[in-house]
Amino acid sequence: MADDFERRLERLFSEAPELPDCAAFAQGVERKLNRGWQTRRWLIGCAGVTGGVVGASQLVYSNLYQRIETAEDSARALSAGLSQVAPSAEMVSALSGGFGVWVAVGLAVLLLGFALSRVIEEI
Amino acid sequence: MPGTKPSSFASLHDVELCSHAAAGEGRAFGELARRHGSAVRYLLRRMGAQAAEADDVAQDAFLTAFQRITEFRGEGTFAAWVKRIAARHYLRRLQRDRRLSELAAEGGEEEIEIAAGDADHRIDLDEALKALSKAERLCVSLCFGAGLSHGEAAEALNLPLGTVKSHVKRGLDKLRARLAPTEGAVLEGRRGNG
Repeated sequence: MADDFERRLERLFSEAPELPDCAAFAQGVERKLNRGWQTRRWLIGCAGVTGGVVGASQLVYSNLYQRIETAEDSARALSAGLSQVAPSAEMVSALSGGFGVWVAVGLAVLLLGFALSRVIEEI
Repeated sequence: MPGTKPSSFASLHDVELCSHAAAGEGRAFGELARRHGSAVRYLLRRMGAQAAEADDVAQDAFLTAFQRITEFRGEGTFAAWVKRIAARHYLRRLQRDRRLSELAAEGGEEEIEIAAGDADHRIDLDEALKALSKAERLCVSLCFGAGLSHGEAAEALNLPLGTVKSHVKRGLDKLRARLAPTEGAVLEGRRGNG
């Protein structure tokens, strides 16, 4: 059981005077916190962009374009068929051009970047 | 809670500031560092750290506390919680620099001569601690400054419990002789004198 002196000693330990540079110390801590967050954000951003670029290049160079061109023919045939049924099938034909490929690639980049960012953030 | 102006942080209780900090509000945590930074740095100095090293370790301790802020449940005081983190950080640093084993191997017989506490010279805790060996100082500071139990201190220092207890006992005896002499000496904790 703690005697009077031990309690007094605990109090003496807890009664530390305020150091003159306590504000500067606190600012230093805040600065380090902010720097940590900024570094983290940059790392996540860079990792996302890198991942996105890698993913996009993989998509572009993996015969995707040829496959989509093949699919274009099917889409044209489909749109021709649809135009007979419903005249408002311009959407399908618009996306079936080369433009559609780049939209898909762009979306893939965004998706990969987002997924990678989330994974890194979780880690 | 979110949206509190930084200027109003000074009026908030530590637990409220911790809630803000847990929501990622760095300024709220800065206020906590301003309030308790000195106490943490003093503890580290009393454990034997040089001023610059104490500041460095204290900053690391606050950063760790920020990362683990959700673990602080407000059961004890925030200051006590950060002090424990800081004490463990300092011990890890000693261990990393292989200074801890030297301290552990040190006997309790080392005696540093300082002026005895008498009525003519007000003696404070920091002066009194100089009379202790490094190991005694470390053990006493851990148990009475950082609030560790003897068992926790033994574990943190990687020393047998009996060794820690004897360091604490010898340290207390020396402090008692310096801080609470039987006749007339003034017990004076250093307060507000920087």
